[in-house]
This record gives sequence, C-alpha cells and structure tokens, in this order.
Amino acid sequence: MTTSSTSPRPWQAASVAAGIPTELPHPQHSSLAALVHERCAHFAQRRPKHKAFTCVMPNGMNGSLTYGQIDALSDAFAGYLRSVLGLQAGDRVAVQMPNSLGYPVAAFGVFKAGCVLVNTNPLYTASEMVHQFNDAGVKALVIIDMFADKLPEVLAKTQVQHVVLTSISEFFPLVPRGIIRAVQKVWSRVLPSVNVPHTRLKTALALGRDTLTKTPAATLWQRISPDALAVLQYTGGTTGVSKGAMLTHSNLLHNVQQMLAMGGSFMKEDEECVLTALPLYHIFAFTANLLGFLTLGGRNILVPSPRPVQNLQRAVENYPITWITGVNTLYNGLLNEEWFVAYPPKHLKASIAGGTALHDAVAERWREVTKTPIAEGYGLTETSPVVSFNPLSGDVRLGSIGVPSPGTDVRLVLDNGQDAPTGQAGEIWVRGPQVMSGYWNNPAETALVMKDGWFATGDIGVMSADGFFTIVDRKKDMVLVSGFNVYPNEVEEVIAQMDSVLEVAVIGVPDATTGEAVRAYVVPNPEHADGIDVTQVIAHCKQQLTSYKVPKHVEVRDELPKSPVGKVLRKDLKAQVAAETTRS
Amino acid sequence: MVTEFETKLLGAMMMIIMLGMGASLTWRDFLIAFRKPKGVLVGLLSQYLIMPFLGFALAMALGLSPGWTLGLILMACMPGGTTSNIFTYFSKGVLALSIMMTTLSTLVALVMVPALLVFYSNAAGLGSEFKIPATNVAQVLVVLLVPTIIGMVTRKLNPNVGATLELLGGVMGIAVILFLVVTWIPRNHMLLAATPWPVYFSAIGLGLFGMALGYLLARGFKQDPNRSRTIALETGIQNGPMAVLIVTLSITGAMQQDVLLIPVLYSLFIVISSSVVTVFFRRMSISESLARDQRKMGSVMNAR
Repeated sequence: MTTSSTSPRPWQAASVAAGIPTELPHPQHSSLAALVHERCAHFAQRRPKHKAFTCVMPNGMNGSLTYGQIDALSDAFAGYLRSVLGLQAGDRVAVQMPNSLGYPVAAFGVFKAGCVLVNTNPLYTASEMVHQFNDAGVKALVIIDMFADKLPEVLAKTQVQHVVLTSISEFFPLVPRGIIRAVQKVWSRVLPSVNVPHTRLKTALALGRDTLTKTPAATLWQRISPDALAVLQYTGGTTGVSKGAMLTHSNLLHNVQQMLAMGGSFMKEDEECVLTALPLYHIFAFTANLLGFLTLGGRNILVPSPRPVQNLQRAVENYPITWITGVNTLYNGLLNEEWFVAYPPKHLKASIAGGTALHDAVAERWREVTKTPIAEGYGLTETSPVVSFNPLSGDVRLGSIGVPSPGTDVRLVLDNGQDAPTGQAGEIWVRGPQVMSGYWNNPAETALVMKDGWFATGDIGVMSADGFFTIVDRKKDMVLVSGFNVYPNEVEEVIAQMDSVLEVAVIGVPDATTGEAVRAYVVPNPEHADGIDVTQVIAHCKQQLTSYKVPKHVEVRDELPKSPVGKVLRKDLKAQVAAETTRS
Repeated sequence: MVTEFETKLLGAMMMIIMLGMGASLTWRDFLIAFRKPKGVLVGLLSQYLIMPFLGFALAMALGLSPGWTLGLILMACMPGGTTSNIFTYFSKGVLALSIMMTTLSTLVALVMVPALLVFYSNAAGLGSEFKIPATNVAQVLVVLLVPTIIGMVTRKLNPNVGATLELLGGVMGIAVILFLVVTWIPRNHMLLAATPWPVYFSAIGLGLFGMALGYLLARGFKQDPNRSRTIALETGIQNGPMAVLIVTLSITGAMQQDVLLIPVLYSLFIVISSSVVTVFFRRMSISESLARDQRKMGSVMNAR
C-alpha cells in the first residue's frame, strides 16, 4: 500500500540527498509467517550452516540455531498450537521470556499458526500478568521457567489454558545446557519448582512436528490476510492505562521495509551481525532486530540480560558485531566499560538509538570511540515502532529525531487542531502504513488518539525548514526510566493502597543513570499512628510493581500542591525539582 | 609420604586447574589490564615482595627447622591460587581483578619463583641438601604453563568448551584440597599431633598476615576498599597444590615429609581462614553499598 501524499513532506529533499527512497516499496510478503518462512528457506538453502540466532551467556557459553532450524522448529510449534492444543487462527498466545533461543521459535510459531502474539515482560508481577492476560484473552502462554513461580496465582485468575515452559539454555549443546541448569538450580537458585500442568518446549515441538505430515505448516498460514492482527503489544500509551496496541501483519511488514530503507547502504544482505541486548518483547528490538535482521539474513546475537553491562563483554568479543541497537542507557553503559572503550567492535558499521532521548554527549563520545555513526530514531509502540530516523550518512544533527521514514506523514498540530507554522512546536501526529489499527477492545482509548487516520502521539515536537524533527517535551507526565514507560497513575495507585498514606503524587525527575527516575511524594495519614516509613513504601511498591516502576526516591510532605478543583499538580512538583537542580 | 600414584594424580589435577585458569581469560583481558599498570603493579608487589618476605620473616622469628623453613619459603613464593577467585566472588569483590592477578602472577612465576627461592634459601642459610633446584621449579612451571595456554586458546576457539574448562578448574581447586584431607591427614595424624605450635602458627599466619599486608599495600596505593579487599584475598591465598607438587617432584625420602608439612597445613587452613575472612568482607561490602544508597536517599530527603 502506498500512502497518498496530501500532506506536504518538507523532508523529501533531505531524504533524497541521504539516499533514502521517498516512497515505500510494497512489501513482498503477505504475512509475517510468509516472510519468516521464505527468508529462512532462502538463507537455509544458500548458506545451510549460517546461524540465524546465537544466545550468549555472560561467561561466553552459547547456543545457536540456523535459518533451517528456525524454519523447522517454528513450523513444529505452529503445528503444536493448532493441531495439538486446538487453538484457532486469531487466538492469543503470550510469550514471556528474556532474549533466548526459545523466543524466535515461539514467536514465529505463533505467526505461522495464524495466532496473535502477546509480548509480555518476563519481570511482570503476578497482578500485571493477570491484567494483561485477561485483557488480551490469552489462551496459551510460553514462559521461561525462571519466572514460573507466579503461575499458580496467574492461572487461577485468568483463562490461560495451556502453559509451555522454556529455559534460558534451550537449544544449547548438551554440556553447557547441563551446566547452566545446574548452576541455576543449585548455585543461584533461580529455578522454582513448577507445580501447575505444563509442557516443556522440547516436548511441544516433538508433538507438533508429528502433526505436520497431516497438516503441513503452510496450510495454517497461507490464507492470513495482511490486515489480520499479528501482535498485541501492551503499552500505557499516552494516557497511562495499559492497553494492547493492535499491530497487523501489514503494519510490521511495512515498518521492516521502512527500517531497512533508513538503514540504506549500512545494511547489506548476508553481511550483518546485530547485537541484541534490548529485550525482544519490546517493540524496538522486536521489529528492528528480530524481523529486520532476519529479513537481511543477518545473525542475531541474543543477550539474555544486559545488566550489568559487563554481561555483554563475551558477546562483543566473540562475534563480529556490525550493528547495535540500543537506548541511551546502554550506550552510556558501554562507554563506561574499559573493555569496550579499549577494543570497540572493529566490524561495527552503525548503531541506532531509540526509546528515549539519546544524550548529545553520549552520541559524540560513541562516534569518537567506535568511529562509526550512531543515529537517533523516534517511534512508539503504536507505530510498530519506527516513525523517523536520522539519516546515517550526511551531517550529524545532535538532538534531532531525524526525518520521517519513507511512506510516513508527520504533522505538528496545535491545540486548536491547526497545523503549527514551521519552527513552532506542536503535537506530533503520524500517518502511515505502520500505524496500528487501534487499541484492543478499547474504542474509548482508540478514539482519543486516532483522528481521521492520524495517530496523535502526545509528544511535542518542532520541525526545521528542511524537515528534521526535534522532540521538545515528552507527553506531560510519563516517566521514561531507561526507555521503559512508567505511568505515574499506576505507581500512585499502588502507593495509595497503603493505610499510612493519605495522598501521593508521582513524577519523573532527571537521573544520571536511567535518564529519568520515579519520585514519589507522600503525605502521611494522620489517622495512622506510626507515621510513614519510606523503606516500607518502597518495599510495598516492589511487591506490586516491576522494578523499573518502583520509585527511586520517596519524599514525605505535609501537603501536595493542588489546583482549585483539588487535582494534584504534578507540574508544580516538577517545577520545584527543576528549581532545585538549577540552584545546586 | 606421598606415593608415586598420588604425585601423578596431583599433577593431573594441577593440569586441569591451570587449564581452567587459562580458559578464564582472553588475551585481550591482559592487554586491558596493562592499560592501567598500577593495579597490576600492586598485585605483583604484594605477591612477590610482601609474601616471600613474610614467609622468610616468620621462619626466622619462629626459629623453624631447615625443612620447615624451606616449605614455608616455597609456600610464600608461590603465585596466587585459583581458589581466590571463588572467595572473591562470594565476598562481592572485583572478580576480573582477582582472575587477572592470579593469571599474571602465575606467568611471572616462571622467573620470579626460582629467583626468590634461591635468594631466600640463601638468606635463611639453608644447607645445600635443603634446596630445591631452580631449574626444577622452572620445569614444573613450564609444564603447567602449557595447559594454561591451551586453556586460553580453547577459550578463543570454542567459548563453550572454554567456559566449561573454567568451571571444571574451579571445582578441581577445591577437589585437590579435599583429596589432601582424605588421603594425607589419616596417615599423618600422629605427625600432626606431634607438630609444635610455631609450625601451625606460620602455616596459618602466612595467609592471614598476607591478607592484612596486601590490604594495607593496596590502600596505600589508593585502591578503593573493595579492590583492596580483592587484593588482600589474592595476596593471602597462594597456590598450595602447586607447592605440594613441586616438593613431591623435587625431594624424596624422609626429608619430603618435613618440607611438605607446611604447604599441606597451609592448604588446609587457608580454606578455613579465607572462608571466615570472606564472610567478614562480604558484610563490609554490603554495608558500604547500603551506606551509599542511604547517602543518596538522604540527600533527596533533605532537598526541600
């Protein structure tokens, strides 16, 4: 599909100069399943031994799958979902694991089964899982064994009928797999005993494989329409209520094309090896690393946990990394590692940063250390995610999010609905083939952001005369901790559950390591004799929230600033913080 | 006495330990370490200046017999033991520094150990029958360097095999000491009962005083407390099995029993003293990081 260009595109000259096509070619595949199968078959035939995915542990232990294996295993998993479990096309399957070899097998299997992938953060608490699985109507769950301790509670409160268990060392050679499991079990004790009915991924694949003779995998996906739903990607969006962005096969296929077009001559078929330190369940790595580099026949180096950054050392040393995708925190972390600065990856061609603003100082130092370009891009879950990108060739524009990707229209809209004059700030509205079809089962939230085919991002930006965009301000109150969205509403709700708390307000404050950090202001409840214990507030949050959402600071106040109607004014608290920062 | 078979077994175990040590590092790690030579310098100083002198001083002060003196000096001149890495891990120290110091001191040992052994044996006035030939020591070290290099190459060629060897080497470090406990103590309990206190004192003191001096030296060179604790463990923990191996290969007969006593006692007691120190260091590490958090929290609380 090509977008009719009724809206002016001032960036066209800049795009052309950077060698970026202005119109997007039609995707060659009708669905993600077709893309995965065709690409895998193609590369498996041409380079049978070439690895598609390699998972690297901090000590260098690793396991790999070739393109041929990925194709066969994901076929088997599709067979398991449809023919063994009896799921129907369009049924939701949640996949909840850190970067590991089971991820591509499960995710591609879901696509080939014609089912809908629900990406889930493995660090979610039980209540977060319950909310997401119930909202999406998840029928089957593929989960890493390390986090299976939450299953009894989650299964009791949801409609999830089938559980498939995988492990971090899945598909590793026998000896490393045995050692990793032994270490996890005996040494670090991170393997809980699983006492709910479940199937091991290996078993599921064997069962699925047997069904393929009767029902070949291709018959499961051949009739998927490009407009069918492919992924439910959960996000707080701009309003903070967790909801599933409906991304279709067409959305993601187009965004892969857009990303590859922006990468241009820096991304070549058969040549790339990408460091995947960001989690694949996040839309950035999902589209860019998993789908984008698969399309190119590249090799994905999967790192289960990039924290501490030292965990990346063996992955960077042992493989000829040509691309890195990351967020500001990751790049900054790598630049603070001696092993990285002393020996930056010598095959590196370029890096892309997204998720949160890339600091100018980090970008400059990155270019200096690696002698390669780093480009900041802009995107959202609702846009699959790439909206705009800095061209890799040409002048560096610090602080800019670049020009819109091919086939994308961007407007800056004022509060009165008019377009902002050039150079003036307005809300960024996006239209293009990558924009979601709406939020799952949530017409009210959808109506708030989808306006006549445009998606209102809630981010405020300005555009230069030649079409480069810059973000002025993030959506009002959202806190971005290392690129993860934290919604003050959610944190406030959790803290407000405490008897000792009368009132609470949560804001984001600048933080040297995570970009922003969550800060909570609490007012003690005079009815409660013991007053407030700050450590208890944090402990309570840790129980209810994923760690990045837990406040880093808690401050006790006698009262909170309020508007005449009694609404807590977060902007006043932010202004106080800003004043403090300037004073000090 | 240690039988021929036991000597061979000990040699084989030592090979595996060194294979694992080699596999714990890459060539690049070395080059990185030498970019900041101060850390390396402190490590080597504590290993080859403090420890040998400490061993010599203890032997002189306690008036040990020539056989015991030789055992103590040999023990004191040994490079760092691979078990220090395990204790560093548990004490929340700087693991990379520990591994680097162990490997570097082992490589340097080829030159330093024979030289120091000759120097301190002469200084202690040991008779020619109580000397271990420098070439003998060098030979053992060269033989042990071969598996170290094989380990490093393996790591490069196949990270899976490399990481497996690394783990195996670590486990073997403990296994050798268990092996000594099981085979040597039951046959020598009479000897242990008859051993006078200065021998015990020197065998235990070498490790404990070594840790204390290593810590002070590191602090003197402005290393932070956590790095200093790592250097302390590294300094105090010597490669005991290597000393036992050198003695069994160089000295035979009744004299072997005499010279062997302190290296064996050291190897047994260092496990106990390191464990105690590790618990202590771990607490310090944790309370320091809590204090850091507290300071950060406090500054926020006060910021009004």
